Amino acid sequence: MKLNVIKQRSLWWTVSAAIILAGIISMVISTATLGSPLRLGLDFVGGTRLQYELDCSKPGNCDKPIDIAAVREVMDAQGLANSSIQVLGDKQQALTIRTKSLNGDQRIKLRDTLSEKIGAFDPKTVQIDTVGPTLGRQLFASGLLAIILSFAGILIYLTFRFQFDYAFFAFVALFHDVFITVGIFSILGLVPQLQVEIDSLFVVGILTIIGFSVNDTVVIYDRVREVITRHPDQHIDQVVDDAVNQTLTRSLNTTLTVLLTLFSIFLFGGETLKYFALCLIIGFTAGAYSSIFIASSLLAWWRERTGKAQPLPAPDAKTSDEV
Amino acid sequence: MQKQRLVLALIVVLVIAAITVLVKIPIQLGLDLRGGAQLTIQVKPTAEIKKITTEELDAVLSVIQNRVNGLGVSEPVVQTVGSDQILVQLPGVNDPQQAERVLGGTAQLDFRKQKPGTEAQLPIEQQVRQGILLKQAQLRQTKDEKAIAENQAALERSNEAILKLFESTGLTGKNLKDARAEPLQTGNAWNVALRFDAQGGEKFAQLTKDLAGTGRTIGIFLDNALISSPTVGPEFAQTGITGGSAVITGNFTVETANDLAVQLRGGALPVPVEIVENRTVGATLGRDSIQRSIYAGIGGLVLVLIYMGVYYRLPGLIADVALVIYSLLTIAAFALLGVTLTLPGIAGFILSIGMAVDANVLIFERTREELRDGKTLYRSVESGFYRAFSSILDGNVTTVIACAALFWLGSGLVKGFALTLGLGVAVSMFTALTCSRTFLLLLVLGFPGLRQKPELFVPNPPASVKS
Repeated sequence: MKLNVIKQRSLWWTVSAAIILAGIISMVISTATLGSPLRLGLDFVGGTRLQYELDCSKPGNCDKPIDIAAVREVMDAQGLANSSIQVLGDKQQALTIRTKSLNGDQRIKLRDTLSEKIGAFDPKTVQIDTVGPTLGRQLFASGLLAIILSFAGILIYLTFRFQFDYAFFAFVALFHDVFITVGIFSILGLVPQLQVEIDSLFVVGILTIIGFSVNDTVVIYDRVREVITRHPDQHIDQVVDDAVNQTLTRSLNTTLTVLLTLFSIFLFGGETLKYFALCLIIGFTAGAYSSIFIASSLLAWWRERTGKAQPLPAPDAKTSDEV
Repeated sequence: MQKQRLVLALIVVLVIAAITVLVKIPIQLGLDLRGGAQLTIQVKPTAEIKKITTEELDAVLSVIQNRVNGLGVSEPVVQTVGSDQILVQLPGVNDPQQAERVLGGTAQLDFRKQKPGTEAQLPIEQQVRQGILLKQAQLRQTKDEKAIAENQAALERSNEAILKLFESTGLTGKNLKDARAEPLQTGNAWNVALRFDAQGGEKFAQLTKDLAGTGRTIGIFLDNALISSPTVGPEFAQTGITGGSAVITGNFTVETANDLAVQLRGGALPVPVEIVENRTVGATLGRDSIQRSIYAGIGGLVLVLIYMGVYYRLPGLIADVALVIYSLLTIAAFALLGVTLTLPGIAGFILSIGMAVDANVLIFERTREELRDGKTLYRSVESGFYRAFSSILDGNVTTVIACAALFWLGSGLVKGFALTLGLGVAVSMFTALTCSRTFLLLLVLGFPGLRQKPELFVPNPPASVKS
């Protein structure tokens, strides 16, 4: 297999631009309807999520599935009409309620009324998550700060290791990966059946993508440098094409093995880790794609435009349509 | 060859050590895996106390600890987080509504006066309470929840009975300005010194005047539980203890004096506390999560092992061995360092399995390239390792940067992930650079026959590859 990365660069750039554009449109719609570019979960806006399961060891308790209308009635009666209610499980015997922040007594009142209506719950399968609104804002701010700091840390590291234009385009590729992941999650948040929310684990996922996706780019750039020193007279397009192809199996294999473990988490890891794994799957795939097609072709394009390997300050509007 | 043998011996020792660690030290599981409630309590500044200092946070911590101990939960954990939060972990609690009721709200410190005619009753009640507390400590070892709950109810009854022996004086924590542990001038004993505001000083003088020489005590109550009951000497019968300060003497050691002082300070703090986070997972749900993550972990590992073996042939199998050693060493490191494993932590570990492969892939790809260039097997392997090193280092450094940001800024859940992934990356550097390399070199050097079969390393090698 031999890839013509440079020749078809307008194709690669269009693909990326299209996905990013879709993400931006989704974020605009999301901001207009939900008030934020992504559907923010409990962790960031505060509230209470309760999960109860009927106790099937009691005779007759699990004979019929949970009636969502009965649950809604109870919620309305307690002044919690705006809550979202979901019935889960193979036999529809588990219940998830997402509502405004409830304290212990309010929660117990709700639980007891629900038990009366639909049957006793098993205390050992309860899950309660309550986050106060202030703490939610704190978590969000510290998550954002962590992302910005690691961006900065990696930019500094790359600048030390490579010339500035390498570092800059590695950074562009990194930004590309994060943006694609965020965009796709914004779209998933708007899909009515899914309404995927982002939580603390999403921030963790983004940070992991930041750490990992630049890895691929670094390996390819490492090789570009090596090829340049070996063939100083070669045209940059040729150099980049060679470097990408020489490292291609490695890039694919590494991404593939990581994706194998991630798919394993996605399939078997349970509800909590499912979207976390999905976030990483999207980010890592975008990471491999951007390293092979975007970072490389951008570097070649820039070096060609500027004449030679002059370490220049950050290019401006010319690349911003890529970011 | 000699060097490789030494490294091999080192690896064997490490593996044996890891297995021993895993057998001897159980891995600590987070509450999301073993079930329980985790509450985050926010200490809120007020108009008077604008910023929560460490000392104030410690004082509030002692109040919270006091309240948690009153809950009758086995093995509770109470610790400060950041500059103004306190984390309370209650293992095995399925619904912490009682805790939420008790733990919120400002501390209530009360100085009460013992009622006349109760002198004989107080020591008896106190003895009863002591007995219940002792039993409680024993019961917590047994984890018999029913017995603990019963004993808990007894403790509450006992607290109420003691409270009834005292009457209110209107002197509360608001009037207490400070409480400190002080060494006595002679001997090893310690005192607790109290300082009241002007109004409190007057009330305290009146209280001590009433009680001096009677044998009745001042009851100091924190959240309605008696924490100290000093008597007042007869010499104060005329005026009471005036001047707004006093010392509680007794058989205090440094620790007990400090404990009481911190409790008093905590009770005097007018800062309200609020439960801002509640994460509770039922025990069955936690067990499900453990099972699921074991499936996910094994599934991921097996998929990677198969892929490596099929794609990279002999080196792939060696990488597989290295990967298994990697998993073993990393889990042992978790146990040894006391890492509390949470669900995101497990995800971090599983992910690190995928990443640990990366170093091997880099090396083997290099080795293959060198082989295709017609180099000998031994030189190909060596230069494969040598030339892949800088890429491996770069990749891992960037991951570690992200982990550091996570660990530094993240909350509990996030920290677990950062820690396991970061540790994993560190261990993977070691296993890739020592295990894979040593095994491969030993094979190449130890079995000359192998050197005639480069097809075990790369499909369709050039005809010239011979050693």
